[in-house]
Amino acid sequence: MKIEVLGVGTTKFGELWEVSPRTLVKEAVSEALSDANLKLANIEALYVGNMLSGILGGQENLGALFAEELGLFVPAFKIEGACASGGLAVHNAINSILAGVYKTVLVVGVEKMTDYNPGEVVSALMGAGHDEERLAGMTFPGLYAMLARSYMEKYGTTERDLAVVAVKNHHHATLNSKAQFQFEVSVDQVLKSPLVADPLRLLDCSPISDGASAMILGSERQERSKTRKTVWITASSVATDSLGLVGRKDLTSLASAVEAARKAYKMAGVNPQDIDVAEVHDCFSIAEVIACEDLGFFPKGEAAGAIAKGKTTLGQGRLIINPSGGLKACGHPVGATGVKQIVEITTQLRGEEGLRQVKGAKIGLTHNVGGSGAVAVIHVLKNE
Amino acid sequence: MLKNVGIAGFGAYIPANRLPIREVAEFWGKDPQDVERSLGVIEKAIPDADEDAVTMAVEAGLNALKMAKISPEALEAIYIGSESHPYAVNPSATIVGEALGVGRNYLAADLEFACKAATAGMENLAGLLEADLINYGLVIGSDAAQAKPHDALEYTAGAGAAAFILSRKKEDFLVQILDFTSYSSDTPDFWRRDGVPYPSHQGRFSGKPAFFAHVIGAAKKLLEKNKMKPTDFSYCVFHMPNGKFPVEVASNLGFEKEQLEPGLVVNKIGNPYSASSLLGLCAVLEIAKPRELIFLTSYGSGAGADSFILKTTKILTTARKRVLGIKEYLNDRREISYSKYLRLTNKI
Amino acid sequence: MNRISPVKIWRHQKETAFFLRKEGKIISWTLVRTPPEGFEREAPYPVVLVELEKGKRRMGQLVDWQDKDLRVGRKVKAVYRRIKQPDPEGIIPYGIKFKPI
Repeated sequence: MKIEVLGVGTTKFGELWEVSPRTLVKEAVSEALSDANLKLANIEALYVGNMLSGILGGQENLGALFAEELGLFVPAFKIEGACASGGLAVHNAINSILAGVYKTVLVVGVEKMTDYNPGEVVSALMGAGHDEERLAGMTFPGLYAMLARSYMEKYGTTERDLAVVAVKNHHHATLNSKAQFQFEVSVDQVLKSPLVADPLRLLDCSPISDGASAMILGSERQERSKTRKTVWITASSVATDSLGLVGRKDLTSLASAVEAARKAYKMAGVNPQDIDVAEVHDCFSIAEVIACEDLGFFPKGEAAGAIAKGKTTLGQGRLIINPSGGLKACGHPVGATGVKQIVEITTQLRGEEGLRQVKGAKIGLTHNVGGSGAVAVIHVLKNE
Repeated sequence: MLKNVGIAGFGAYIPANRLPIREVAEFWGKDPQDVERSLGVIEKAIPDADEDAVTMAVEAGLNALKMAKISPEALEAIYIGSESHPYAVNPSATIVGEALGVGRNYLAADLEFACKAATAGMENLAGLLEADLINYGLVIGSDAAQAKPHDALEYTAGAGAAAFILSRKKEDFLVQILDFTSYSSDTPDFWRRDGVPYPSHQGRFSGKPAFFAHVIGAAKKLLEKNKMKPTDFSYCVFHMPNGKFPVEVASNLGFEKEQLEPGLVVNKIGNPYSASSLLGLCAVLEIAKPRELIFLTSYGSGAGADSFILKTTKILTTARKRVLGIKEYLNDRREISYSKYLRLTNKI
Repeated sequence: MNRISPVKIWRHQKETAFFLRKEGKIISWTLVRTPPEGFEREAPYPVVLVELEKGKRRMGQLVDWQDKDLRVGRKVKAVYRRIKQPDPEGIIPYGIKFKPI
């Protein structure tokens, strides 16, 4: 399969008090259209990825809302899959193109989380979990903390071992002008930060953020640019697992990610070793460690050690993970993340990422997860 | 004399948190030893933030069912006696019944009479059983007592639950209930108006004209009716608002210290109101030998007293081993500070 | 958003009665320090994933706990508690939590 990424755009991620969701979307879309050298009139359909608009803001019907906001009265859809909403919106847009229904599709991921108190947001995010988990007073950090506990018991990994993820991602984000946090953190700072859900600490957790990202996708018969590398999406796959941790077979791996990756590698005709750059779903430090193993980048139990040795760090490693700063340092406006990941990989594969360019990147991968692993979306991209 | 009324199973529940009385005394600038001595209480049981009269009743009820070895669906009546029912309108009895799995074929009612609501329930069940109207009934006394900060009651208001399954089949009887009587009047010694969070009391008026008048009134009446004397009994149990009143009333009636002490749980758990005398009864039943007579008198402010004559049977000794008893609950203990107590009972 | 429907509480009653007093052991645990709405009073509190008889798993809060109880493999039993602080005019949600034994 080959879907062309015609244009990409993203807003800064962060606490954007003055900016409304409508403005965020307009900004990201405008950047994507200009990047694609296209006009609104070229767009045939709109897919919106978002999770919390209804729970927090009382607003549903986002397809119609943003279609009107953009002046784009075309078929429009909101796709929701918790933190995988963005990736799932892309997947659905791709399917519509593969089915021959639309030729040029706009995908937007957007989230506004900072209008609400942390307690409200924490509760709202648990909409991604199982009812039993909500009734137990669980939070998202708590769910991933349980995965961390199981992983640590099985492999002897320590909190110090997990802390390297935040350190690496913050380092990458210092090179990303759109990142929420553009400062370094040290392992000691991570270990001194307050506990949120034992054993995870504040600096192990991605922040509450606002932001929007957009991309325009086209069928492979579009005109190719003469001045820059064309980027293709060569795999888009989705897999699901139990909604809650209660139904999982293995608490040290996300089976949905393993399965989606297996299908994606097959679809794209590549192996884990072929990936040069990846954006993975590091909602919590443990999530990146488990992701590296689920995606086949490192053997089970060894990812934390590899990350600590710099094997996935810009300028040091061969496979660079989360050059944007990941969810931890770039920020995690839930519905936008899945789209932003592809925006980042696209720019990497074009060779346009400047200071944080992964040299010679040819094949990239994005890994976007909903809930505590209930759904995973994997995309593989390549340039030519 | 009753012929068809006996206890087929019983169960206790005491929450794990314990507030030492000296913590309360020190906070309010009183001499802890003085307070401990004058009240005869060392520490009291406090429910956790997620416990209430219903949750404790369920736990005690599960113990009673386990001891009685009957299916919950065999229960045909449930009475819950409390002065801290979680709802003003919505029966605790059916919430407890549903959690215990009793099915649909039962009479349910909530009772209130300060600290003696449950013994009134016991009398009601006795009536239904003696009249052959039901085979099995459950009565539970359960309270998560509240006291106003800095009030005298703060040293004693505690929490707990005691459940009793009564049967009309002799082969079930671990204890037979031989007779009972009640003594009631309109005596305003302790009360709480609807919507008001803490009870009020009339100080020393709760003594002679209230507690003593009614306990002695009921006790003497029952003893005379059955032509019995204190020396006929192996044990006596009274309602325990503090560590002093039951000692005094026992002595007044002619009972000895040795008869009273096994049931005197108040010094370790405080006063769990509707569960007070019944938890004392549980403590006695955990050590009583076969064919021993027990004299039980509860007291409820407002005021009234219910008095019972009970006799243990042979099968009590094996049956009581089936569940955790007062001893285990007393040992399952987590000491808390006064500030933690304020937080747990929603005062801050 | 956080008020549990009385009808939903009613539908869950059989499940509560089924789990009461069942025993199991802790598979994984955490200590939640930043609670969601309705759970502020009890925070910090442990949440445990428990494996009961026949491999059945359930998640719930751990009550009457001490630090030494927070370990994988600890034996627990299901007990009856208020799930969370009810809103002042609402139905009280009762349900299952776990207690170390």
